Amino acid sequence: MTRFIAKRLGLGLITLWLLSVLVFFGTQVLPGDVARRILGPFASPSAVTALNKQLGTDKSVFVQYLNWITGLFHGDLGTSVATRTSVSSIVFPALWHSAKLAILAFIIVVPLGILGGVLAALYEGRFRDRLISVGGLSATTVPEFVWSVVFILVFALWLGILPSTATAPPGSGFLTQIEYLVLPALCLVFVLFGYIARMARAGTIESLEADYTRTAVIKGLPYRTVVRRHVLRNSLLPTIAVVATQAGYLIGGLVAIELVFNYQGIGQVLYRAAIQKDFPVLQSAVLIVGVVYLVATLLADLAYSLLNPRIRFESSS
Amino acid sequence: MSDQRQRQVDAIRRHIGEVENDLVDELVAGRIDRREFLRRGSVLGLSLSSLGVLAGCAAPNVTRVSPPQTKPPKAGGTIRTGIVAPAAALDPIMISDEGGLAVLGQSAQYLVWSDKNLTLRPVLAESWTHDHTGRVWTFKIRRGVSFSDGTPMTAEDVAATFNRLSDPKVGSNALSNFDGVLSKGNTKAIDPYTAQFTLDAPNGNFPYLVSSDNYNSVVLPKNYDGGWDKTFLGTGPWKLESFTPNQGVSYGRNPRYWGQPTVAERSEVTFYAEEQAQTLGILGNQVDVVAHYSVSGGRALITNPDVRTTQFRSSSHRQIHMRTDKEPFADKRVRQAMALLLDRRALVNGLLATKSDYGNDSPFAPVFQSTNQSVRQRQLNVAMAKQLLEAAGKGAGFSTQLLTLTHFELPDLAQVVQNDVSVAGINLKLSILDPGSYYGSSKFGTSPWLDSTMGITDYGHRGVPNLLLTAPLSSKGPWNAAHFRNPQYDQLVAHYVAALDLGAQRAAAGKIQELLLDETPVMFPYFYYFLTGARLNVSGVETTAMGHVDLSRAGFA
Amino acid sequence: MSSFGEPIGSSVTAADSPAVAEPTVGPGPDEAKVIRREHLALLLRSKTFIAGALILGFWIVCAIFGNLIAPDDPLRTNPVAALQAPSSAHLFGTDTLGRDVLSRVLVGARDILIVAPLATLLATAMGTLLGLVTGYFRGFVDDSLGRLIDAILAVPVVIVGLLSMVALGPSTVTVIFVIAVVFTPVIARTVRAAVLSEVQYEYVAAARLRNERAPYILFGEILPNVMGPVLVEFTVRLGYAIFTIATLSFLGFGIQPPAPDWGLQIYQHYGLISGGYWWPVLFPALAIASLVIGVNLLSDGISQAFER
Repeated sequence: MTRFIAKRLGLGLITLWLLSVLVFFGTQVLPGDVARRILGPFASPSAVTALNKQLGTDKSVFVQYLNWITGLFHGDLGTSVATRTSVSSIVFPALWHSAKLAILAFIIVVPLGILGGVLAALYEGRFRDRLISVGGLSATTVPEFVWSVVFILVFALWLGILPSTATAPPGSGFLTQIEYLVLPALCLVFVLFGYIARMARAGTIESLEADYTRTAVIKGLPYRTVVRRHVLRNSLLPTIAVVATQAGYLIGGLVAIELVFNYQGIGQVLYRAAIQKDFPVLQSAVLIVGVVYLVATLLADLAYSLLNPRIRFESSS
Repeated sequence: MSDQRQRQVDAIRRHIGEVENDLVDELVAGRIDRREFLRRGSVLGLSLSSLGVLAGCAAPNVTRVSPPQTKPPKAGGTIRTGIVAPAAALDPIMISDEGGLAVLGQSAQYLVWSDKNLTLRPVLAESWTHDHTGRVWTFKIRRGVSFSDGTPMTAEDVAATFNRLSDPKVGSNALSNFDGVLSKGNTKAIDPYTAQFTLDAPNGNFPYLVSSDNYNSVVLPKNYDGGWDKTFLGTGPWKLESFTPNQGVSYGRNPRYWGQPTVAERSEVTFYAEEQAQTLGILGNQVDVVAHYSVSGGRALITNPDVRTTQFRSSSHRQIHMRTDKEPFADKRVRQAMALLLDRRALVNGLLATKSDYGNDSPFAPVFQSTNQSVRQRQLNVAMAKQLLEAAGKGAGFSTQLLTLTHFELPDLAQVVQNDVSVAGINLKLSILDPGSYYGSSKFGTSPWLDSTMGITDYGHRGVPNLLLTAPLSSKGPWNAAHFRNPQYDQLVAHYVAALDLGAQRAAAGKIQELLLDETPVMFPYFYYFLTGARLNVSGVETTAMGHVDLSRAGFA
Repeated sequence: MSSFGEPIGSSVTAADSPAVAEPTVGPGPDEAKVIRREHLALLLRSKTFIAGALILGFWIVCAIFGNLIAPDDPLRTNPVAALQAPSSAHLFGTDTLGRDVLSRVLVGARDILIVAPLATLLATAMGTLLGLVTGYFRGFVDDSLGRLIDAILAVPVVIVGLLSMVALGPSTVTVIFVIAVVFTPVIARTVRAAVLSEVQYEYVAAARLRNERAPYILFGEILPNVMGPVLVEFTVRLGYAIFTIATLSFLGFGIQPPAPDWGLQIYQHYGLISGGYWWPVLFPALAIASLVIGVNLLSDGISQAFER
């Protein structure tokens, strides 16, 4: 087991390095001059040249890459080209904001999804199953940005019960912050629900049909207890594995939601940095999202490999 | 007019200069109205009290424009305003975007304030005069003013500010305004409260260049050395409380302010990267005021009953340039035809929901006082366009690329233009780039904007047309995307710039306008209004077409 | 589904533990034909497959005959008639430039139904090639390419989209490129897993004994036997591709104006919903949803049939 983890970690680090190279040189491909981008098209050429010199963007690409990598090892992610503040001060708060949103969404969608999936499995083939499965599937196919707008329209504008942005005023209490995060979290819930429900449903069906379940029922255990004790436990693991994979998407991929809700998450930071060609922020943000994604994948792999027959044998008693 | 009044007027007229007297004559003859007189007079440096007296000479038929009566707001509270997010670091010398200048103007101030009617109001300057050549301008500086850190402000700070801004080595964004007008070292403090500017050439519009229209020209201490975004240093009524980059700024009252304290106790300015989010912000009551919104991004606000929209003319516009030095637009008949194919009425009424003036293919927007109103407005005329194309040998139409950037309604405008010209067999292939890629390096040869055959560019508001006449259209202009080289045009523009009195300015303008209608290197389809939105319980917000938002008198009912 | 996440199967089953099975004799040529016919029959009887095929069929008809069925010219602008509510003249209303929304929705099928399958086909071809190579050769080739694949997968689609758009210029070709780059690694993973299990079978060993060269073994022997999973992957990815293209257009990195692309229409109008102008957004959104659901049902049907 430890050898497995060590090996995966090692491979993960190599991937991370590859990612840093990809990202760094990928962004160099972008045309346009950094200083010009900051100062705008109508600023004087001498100002542009002066700023470029100041930012060090006139050095060779390899030198810049080396500077960046060495900086990373010292914990210095560099300075944002657009706002002249440190990249860490932009990226880490944003990461935390996205995490808050993701956690809220998970807290809602995981139990809901598992419940839905188990219910669907228990009523397999019947109306309730159809409703949950097809409904869930349809919800996931609607793009997140459409959900965002629809929810804002319904809850914030027509009904006026929830705020139309996700950023609570500074200094708000815990509950107020939650109130502001409900709508975007709901978008994520709708997008993920069908997915998790499907996994949970498949896992539940499989364990319902398994030998140990039949054994338990034959032995006289009430159906409910069987479901609770054996079936749920086994459908949980694949679902957790799915959830871990989704973490990567959540953190980096919710650009559209963050844009519509004007929320300073890592997705919006990425988008803005890319549009402004703010390379230091862009590179660090992509790297961080990559780290989250890789860690999540590693956890998912771990969880899945724990799903070996060993566990199946353990649960029959 | 009463005898006493007449005597007062005569007394004043004896003391003012020739140019100023000409202006009064225009007022008496009814050639300009009161508002224009006030505006023009303020530029020339006439004091408010003199202006008030002289304005009584207005010809009787001229209608007065009185502001709507609203109750003054109550003191206290926190005003929450949404503005477009500053595009770059907050450095007063380098700022070149609307979000940045709006933030700048909260805690820092200018010598002069240019309001929404382009009337100049003294702020850090008390009054100003010019010599008879129009080359030397002398400003009296207000006493008793100090910066937010306590240091007192004198004319030396003013001189240092303007010498800094006109220094090519510093590379300020203001250089584009001072190029050929004011050089480094020519601003002097002749005594602690008098600053004198010696210009490179006579300039009748100079006070605008030290006003809020030249938004980098906030007065800063003479030993200012950078780091403004940590202190928000300035002489203004608001003092920095906290600043979160990419998010917003909050202000409290400046206890050391020289003027009236702000009506509201606090002000929170929120940055919006996307206009849609800003629109949702005011509708969802996250902010009370939206400093500037556009029809394309805030259409919902125009008809919304909870929001009051203030609108006024601005010179913000779009330029559709056509390369005069290569096919297919080398022949001016082809360019005229393109301009005749544009359905401007549909653009003004549809695309801009009537919130705009018509453009007549020259930088002379209706909002400028020096615009010559007697030049006929170009209209849609498909038949004539086809004739011109035929005469130029392009009766069968042609194909070329139309380049533009993803900004406000520009992509929409491009699609409408594409459609409009297709009736003559002209096929425009659209290419819509992000702003960075569109402008490139802003140098000829490495900028799609300056190298393209046809493109649409956004131009923000300016208080006077000077820069718009030179940079995009004169032979050596750095923004001359049309590659227009016309010596007669250059000469006419030089006349306009040097003209001190309104009559001469208008005459020069008329000639320029006619020339541009004939040559049409660039199409100016419209000049759109500046729109500000405020919730019904808020009043006292003052915005300018430049993008400044003065919240010092804003409060709740 | 989401445009950025991956179903558990692809990232996890590709982990380094293929099923340990005894080498068995694979299906002979005649048996294979019978199996294929059985698959087809199952397909035609599956309700999900039929439903999916019907929806997809409707949109394909729109894509081909769009200009004939549409009541108005989808590209003709009329700014004065902008944002009119649905009425008898315009069943779906008009958009910000006065164009008929119904016509744009109908004709919009063409762009997405050309770009999405093309991009997915490209990704499938490249991914299959990659999967074949890594699954068969294993060792160093497999490990290093695998790491590269992981690295590419960790970059959010948005970034790839934006960088490509800026570097290559905004166009439909750029969109195809982005989809291909983002989906190839995923498909490669699935194909690799399939190849790993195929390699156990005797016919591969037999081919090696015959001294057949690697390209022949890969394309002549193994490929036909993994076509099933490849086909399933293609249809699954097609759904994701449609979704991703819509999202890229929504962010402004996708298909360019004035094309009546659905994602682009939503991008141009979503801010207007707050003003009560819901129709330019709702109908393209329904179109996207229906197409993706249709393709999903289709792929579900196919994978069910092949799993028997």
